[in-house]
Amino acid sequence: MKLGSFEVKLEKRVSLPGWEATLISLLAILVALVVFSYIFVRAGVNPLTGYKEIFSYAFMSSFGLPLTINRFIFLLLCTYAFIIPIRAGLWNIGMAGQLYAGALSAFAVAFAFGAKTSQNAVLPPGLVIPLMIAAAILGGAVVGAIAGFLKGRFNTNEIVVTMMLNFITYWIVARLIKEGGLFMGASGEGDGFKIPESIYAPLVKNVPFTVFIALGLAMLLYFLFAKTKIGYQIKAYGKSPSAAKYAGISPYKIPLLVFIMGGLIAGLAGYHYFAAVPGVYKITKNYGDFGDLAFYGIICGLISQGDALAAIPIALLFGGLTNGGRFAQGKLKLGFGIDYALLGVLMITLVAFQFFYRYKIVVVRTKKETSDVGIHS
Amino acid sequence: MWEFIVRSLDASTIFTIAALSELLGQRSGVLNVGVEGVMLFGATIGFMVAQTTGSYLLGFLAGIAIGGLIGLLHGFFSITLGSDQVVNGMGIWILGFGLTTYIGYPYTGPLGMERIPNVIGLSPFFFIGVALIIIAWFVLTKTSLGLRIRSVGENPSVAEVSGINVTRTRYLSVITSGMLMGFAGAIYSLDYNPVWSNDFLMGWGFIALALVFFSMWNPYILLGGSILFGTLWQLSLNPQLVLPDLMSRYIWRTVPFTITVGALMLMSTEWFRARWGAAKPEALGQPYIKD
Amino acid sequence: MLLESLKRGDTVLEARGITKRFPGVLANDRIDFEIKAGEVHAILGENGAGKTTLMNILFGLYQPDEGEIYLYGKKVNFRSPLDAIDMGIGMVHQNRKLIPAHTVIENIILGHPRAGNILNLKRTGKEITELCDRYGFKIDLKAKVWQLSEGEKQIVEILKALYRGAKILILDEPTSALAPPETKRLLESIRIMTRDELAIVPFITHKLPIVLEVSERVTVLRRGKVSARLETTGATEKSLAREMVGRDVIFRMERVEVEKGKPILQVENLSALNDKNVLALKDVSFSVQEGEIFGIAGVSGNGQQVLAEVLAGLRKAQGGKVLLDDANITHSPSLERWSKGIGYIPSERVDVGSIGDFSLVDNIAMNYYFDVDFTKGGIVNYKGLRKLTEEMISEYDVAAPSPDTMAKSLSGGNLQKLILARVLSRKPRLLIANLPTQGLDVGATEFVQNKLMEAKKEKAGILLISEDLDEVLSLSDRVAPMYEGEFMGIIPGGEARREIVGSMMAGLKPKVEEI
Repeated sequence: MKLGSFEVKLEKRVSLPGWEATLISLLAILVALVVFSYIFVRAGVNPLTGYKEIFSYAFMSSFGLPLTINRFIFLLLCTYAFIIPIRAGLWNIGMAGQLYAGALSAFAVAFAFGAKTSQNAVLPPGLVIPLMIAAAILGGAVVGAIAGFLKGRFNTNEIVVTMMLNFITYWIVARLIKEGGLFMGASGEGDGFKIPESIYAPLVKNVPFTVFIALGLAMLLYFLFAKTKIGYQIKAYGKSPSAAKYAGISPYKIPLLVFIMGGLIAGLAGYHYFAAVPGVYKITKNYGDFGDLAFYGIICGLISQGDALAAIPIALLFGGLTNGGRFAQGKLKLGFGIDYALLGVLMITLVAFQFFYRYKIVVVRTKKETSDVGIHS
Repeated sequence: MWEFIVRSLDASTIFTIAALSELLGQRSGVLNVGVEGVMLFGATIGFMVAQTTGSYLLGFLAGIAIGGLIGLLHGFFSITLGSDQVVNGMGIWILGFGLTTYIGYPYTGPLGMERIPNVIGLSPFFFIGVALIIIAWFVLTKTSLGLRIRSVGENPSVAEVSGINVTRTRYLSVITSGMLMGFAGAIYSLDYNPVWSNDFLMGWGFIALALVFFSMWNPYILLGGSILFGTLWQLSLNPQLVLPDLMSRYIWRTVPFTITVGALMLMSTEWFRARWGAAKPEALGQPYIKD
Repeated sequence: MLLESLKRGDTVLEARGITKRFPGVLANDRIDFEIKAGEVHAILGENGAGKTTLMNILFGLYQPDEGEIYLYGKKVNFRSPLDAIDMGIGMVHQNRKLIPAHTVIENIILGHPRAGNILNLKRTGKEITELCDRYGFKIDLKAKVWQLSEGEKQIVEILKALYRGAKILILDEPTSALAPPETKRLLESIRIMTRDELAIVPFITHKLPIVLEVSERVTVLRRGKVSARLETTGATEKSLAREMVGRDVIFRMERVEVEKGKPILQVENLSALNDKNVLALKDVSFSVQEGEIFGIAGVSGNGQQVLAEVLAGLRKAQGGKVLLDDANITHSPSLERWSKGIGYIPSERVDVGSIGDFSLVDNIAMNYYFDVDFTKGGIVNYKGLRKLTEEMISEYDVAAPSPDTMAKSLSGGNLQKLILARVLSRKPRLLIANLPTQGLDVGATEFVQNKLMEAKKEKAGILLISEDLDEVLSLSDRVAPMYEGEFMGIIPGGEARREIVGSMMAGLKPKVEEI
């Protein structure tokens, strides 16, 4: 394409420096938010007002901020559940199913300690909470392992399998918390039973302690991929399975391993939202919404390019956007599902922008005397 | 029992058309894992237009048109930009899932139009579905166009040196494929279950995607598989019609998904592949970039 | 079927002064070539002589940097193979350009203007059958191409070209993949085609007798230039070979004699299947000693790749035994083999030997991440690996801006140097070098060959697999020509054995006194 004495050309990238990747990711988010302003315009709201409402509620208000942080923890865990398999080139879109399984397992422990029958039961938190977490991890890992095993052993398409597992576990949760199910709550309105106060997850300044788990995982994953042998093996498998085989990396074990790791983190997300967030402490009847929210983990993982530390600010931003979006939706009468719409717009913008991870735009001056000077944008 | 069979065939129609559309794209070498997303678009836009205008015809046309448009978008990402087709498909799915939840919400509730009349007790779309299968089979195996589509899906560089425009052929397939997906979605929301709610179409598109793998890219096996899954789906919704009190209705709902996983596993085994071979298009999922 | 009638003896195609450069290589240097209707004019040359480049220029795949092509007396400029096809040039590729999942007839009519909207297989089938009858081809038009033998696939390609109305047929290594009876039938068909005034241009590396049997004229290429134009009537196999190789052997590795030690690798009756589950390695037995280069010569696809992969632990052995220093490693995983002292340089540099999206450090790590010197307690010492990479880059003279460069940005030669550095730095007792110089320019080739020689001096045993006969003969102490998964014998290396090895690669077992 020619513009005056300049020519705009596309050039295939040989390398992608970190700062350029960050720039592209930020640009993608920015473009998505600009596109998304159409929703405000359509509702007759000034987009700037709209975003101001969203951000001030999400990050400044004393009501909104704790909710944002809870979402942030949840999204970060879902992101990590996605990131580990994607580093091995495999798609885990089964965070929803894995987190349902995690939540069910955690509540099964509480149930075993008699939490359902007595709302005021005094249970030993030092025993029950670790057990609930362990169960959540195990539950998520088992569901993840199914997909990983099928991929490694039979090369079964992991996208379809993880999605099917989402639906399967979705209905199993329904079976257990509704219509006389084992975990049905006393109210009979379709919620699961509520755990007694004695085993509420400990709070630090009103934030569940799971935030430390999430941030600890960030460090751990960063370390895993930057320094360890297992991390190296996962990355090598992800970039080239045939070269990885030559390097002695098992094409059976890696898929299983990454899905177990992803699943256990998603299981933790299930524990976090249903057993650790203040005011919830039960598997709510709208648990499916949290399964849907887990898909933000995909976008977050893709935008952060699989980098565990980069995922932190992005998860925080998305936690704020979804939380603030729900608030703005009510306040500015925008109609239901604004967080869903944002999910879609962000995702498709990101898909369009992945082109720039592979190509760069180069502006070349076409005037004769300076034709050998290239200005790289 | 008759009603159960009728409802099963109605459900299978949607699987048939959705899976056939995916099959068509895949035969040309383009994978779209976002079938569910395109169907959601077709269902939502079709529902909105039909309810607003009161015309089924316009509703279906709108569903088909939006499907074609999304197909074009997928084609642009996958063919022209040569981006990873799995990422693009996931993008299409999440876009459809997110956006339709929002734009469809004000339309929550029944369609409120007179039902589309049946033909000998069955939905007319059942016959359209069967006809489409036959047409697709004919085009793919008996025509020059079909040969071109199959060739670009098997080996685009051989097709290119034989004088075939790979890009144009793939676009044609992907757009047609999108239109059919939109149509399948519109059948769901206008005929099969004409009530809008925000979490409907749960998993139809993904089962359709799996059905293409089961079918070994053969339209007739695809039809058989669709009827099987339509029946299973109906059974999972209304188990009391056939097997009352066997297990909870919620557990019944897991059955189609569990069977999908089981079947997918079975056909991924070496035992299966050695016997029936893999008919998978060689170039499926690979962008074609001329050098 | 022919577009227009041509008289025997009319010049149909003429190339004048064709020159083509690639970075660092002058592939074609002022090549002149012409062919007449009804003539077979062979182009002869070794690997790397510039045949493939010339062929691709004649078929419109490359544009020449200099020179002109005249077709039926008119100057032409092919922008793509389609232009060449439209003007009556047909190409029979060595790597078949066919769609395996499709039937024979579908492959032939693909993209054909006469295919029609609704395929009229009856009519086209009849027309193709007529072609078959005329030229003596036997083929089942309804068979799928993947079910066919190599010879039958070649027939399909010829039919496709003829059905498109080709008047000039370029054959790339037409007999390299054929069994003797198939070769005989092909030559018979070629004779009939020339009677129909078709011009045939076979490009041939090996199998000199066939050149003499079928063609009238031969143009010999050497190092990108025409080294001779001969009438076959006065030529002999010997004279052709001399023109091909050149009297003066310009650069040859000085073979170092090293005292051989005990056997490192012993292979007994080894068999294995290829990707299509066909037995591709049959009962092979040999041993490699310390300080020895054991060469395997052969045309691509005769089981060398399968043998290399089995020895590297990347493919299952079907039967037989592999001993490394007398320890049975037949079923050991590759990682165990690397730590026991095997080094493997794969032929697929880009897909197997390296990871394009990884930095050079990460690529070096492929052979080191499991090494206790660099990985302790599951933690990889990247600092140490980086230092190692820097050392290798300078020692092996790899042209790369930094150790953090992505491997995909390296040229083929530099990538191979990097792989070589990685594998040799582990001081392997046994080095398996699979096509180590394939596709490299002269400088890089020399470098790689020197490194192999150095490893030999350090008492490593080397298994060298090569399709370049000169390389195998000049470097190896012993040579095993391989044909259809079997060794045709094991003979001492050296230039003098060239013709014997060549015929053994083509499947002939030598008489005892020749060895």
